[in-house]
Amino acid sequence: MNNLHAKTLDIINLNVTLPNGHRLLRDVSLSLDPGEVRALVGESGAGKSMIGKAVLGILPTGISISQGEILLEGTHLNALTPATRRKTIAQTSALIPQDPLTALNPVRKIGPQITDPLTRIHGWTKARALARTRELLDRVHIRNPDRVLNSYPHELSGGMRQRILIAAAFAPSPRLIVADEPTTALDVTVQKEILRLIRELQRETGTGVLFVTHDMGVVAKISQKVTVLFGGRVVEDAPTHRIFENPEHAYTRALIAATPTPNASTEPFRPVPPALIAELHREIQADDDRFSKRAHR
Amino acid sequence: MLLKTVFVRLLTTAITLFGVAVVVFTLVRVAPGNPISMMLPPGATEEDIAALTALYGFDKSLPHQFMIWIGGVIQGDFGTSITLRQPVDELVLGRLPATLELSLMALLIALALGGLVAVIGARKRSTGTEVGLDLTSGAVLSIPDFLWGLIFVLLFGVLWPVLSISGRVDPRLDIDFTTNFYFFEGLLRGRWDVVSSTFSHMLMPAMSLALPLAAMIAQLLKQNLKEVLNQDYTTLARVRGFSETSVILREALQNAALPTLALVGVQFTFLIGGTVIVERLFAYEGLGNMAIDAVINRDLPLIQGIVLLFAALFTVINLLVDLSYTFLNPRLRNG
Ligand SMILES: Nc1ncnc2c1ncn2[C@@H]1O[C@H](COP(=O)(O)OP(=O)(O)O)[C@@H](O)[C@H]1O
Ligand SMILES: [Mg+2]
Repeated sequence: MNNLHAKTLDIINLNVTLPNGHRLLRDVSLSLDPGEVRALVGESGAGKSMIGKAVLGILPTGISISQGEILLEGTHLNALTPATRRKTIAQTSALIPQDPLTALNPVRKIGPQITDPLTRIHGWTKARALARTRELLDRVHIRNPDRVLNSYPHELSGGMRQRILIAAAFAPSPRLIVADEPTTALDVTVQKEILRLIRELQRETGTGVLFVTHDMGVVAKISQKVTVLFGGRVVEDAPTHRIFENPEHAYTRALIAATPTPNASTEPFRPVPPALIAELHREIQADDDRFSKRAHR
Repeated sequence: MLLKTVFVRLLTTAITLFGVAVVVFTLVRVAPGNPISMMLPPGATEEDIAALTALYGFDKSLPHQFMIWIGGVIQGDFGTSITLRQPVDELVLGRLPATLELSLMALLIALALGGLVAVIGARKRSTGTEVGLDLTSGAVLSIPDFLWGLIFVLLFGVLWPVLSISGRVDPRLDIDFTTNFYFFEGLLRGRWDVVSSTFSHMLMPAMSLALPLAAMIAQLLKQNLKEVLNQDYTTLARVRGFSETSVILREALQNAALPTLALVGVQFTFLIGGTVIVERLFAYEGLGNMAIDAVINRDLPLIQGIVLLFAALFTVINLLVDLSYTFLNPRLRNG
């Protein structure tokens, strides 16, 4: 079923809806070539995380895909039974979560938390899983792997835990990684290091990455493509260099302008103009009206 | 650090037990009913009454009586039962195994049943199954243990008599055990006749005691499971391909058990309190049954001994709960 020439991820006209019919994602389309990094940007609540959750099959209870298609390596996820979908996603994808402090089970040791999926889901031997885990821990610059594997999460710092989660995500050699603001919860000092690790591992392994962020500065460093979102809608989709050199949409320009620069102290902070936000909300309203007409026809 | 904890613990335990001793000693003497008059045949002379009163020390002042009693207790002498004419500690410790076996069996049933219902409820959350289980456990919880006892007697003692409704063990069995833990010692010795007989006698009183606690565990543990199942680490386990059932059992259960445990500890002491009436109902020869006889007969030394033992038992249970809490929570293990 897996097509070698297929895109790693293809999202076509995805609509994700609350039980009351309110749409959280509105006709979102985007794709990811093998080994490509695509940034999802937009302010808080734009629907960036929701896209990742839809792809990984972890939408919160009550929230569902009402229309559209998600293809993972050419496989239509909607067409699969829940159990097969879960296996397909686990075989191809991984998640680097936003908050490393809540993403590790507090009552279990680190070692089994990394190796269990490798042995129990991917069917590896214990020895192979452990060797691979050590290799990746070394790769994310964890110097005393034995101590770390035997630790409980509370014994490790936030930066350490995020490095462990990065190692765990890359361990089964996934084709797709969803990184949901992986540095937001961390100290500024460790943010750069974590970002560099993800970028290095991504390049070495050729994994496709959906990189969720609200920081245009990070976008410039890590991605080849950018999807700009507002209110669950794609505002602009373009190669990263074009987004910065020649942004098409006024909202994209406003986002770039609102990004603090290294000399932020001298330049005034320019928030997105309220008039522009109002204009975008009007567009969404018109969009919703068309959508409900389409649904009622 | 650990030493200090142990010391504080022992001190508070001693203070608690002393407080219990003072209260029970005073209460049984303030309550109406005279133990001496219950012992003598009608028409006993004034001299007889005075002699017996002096023999048991009831002629002395309350504080003086208390000093004598507590002095003995500290040396391990709990006095002599007025009605049974035997040392209180022998009587009480002889009955304790029966009550412990019954309570532990009830606790085990409650944990297994409540845990199972909680896991199923969490697995089927936001469905009709969850609502059905909630309603059922709510109904079970609203019926107290002794009413469950009556219901069971009616069902399995009268309508469909498959279980023994009275006593602790078939009296025809020859039991020459070292301890009074018939069930446990029977298991160890492989005396299956004793094991099955005690089990068939224990099942109904144990179920009566267990059902309300099982319902409580089912409700609370399910609630805690549902909260844990929203945590990021359970989401991550789903992304990694684990089924919902294995996410519940492997990732969520231990975390959800922690807040449930505190309640189970408190409720277990209530359960042991419940043995008093339930043992009576099933004529089960345990401490609770003996306590009722002691109260009816105004057997003051025996009442005091039983109450003190119950109090000591409760502090031990609290200690065990705290220990298991530390065992389940790695954050408390080294600190
Ligand atoms: N569990 C939920 N129930 C209802 N609405 C939600 C839930 N999670 C997120 N939303 C809504 O969905 C929208 C998109 O959320 P999200 O994808 O988390 O935004 P972000 O771009 O900040 O990651 C927001 O308006 C948010 O309020
Ligand atoms: Mg988000």
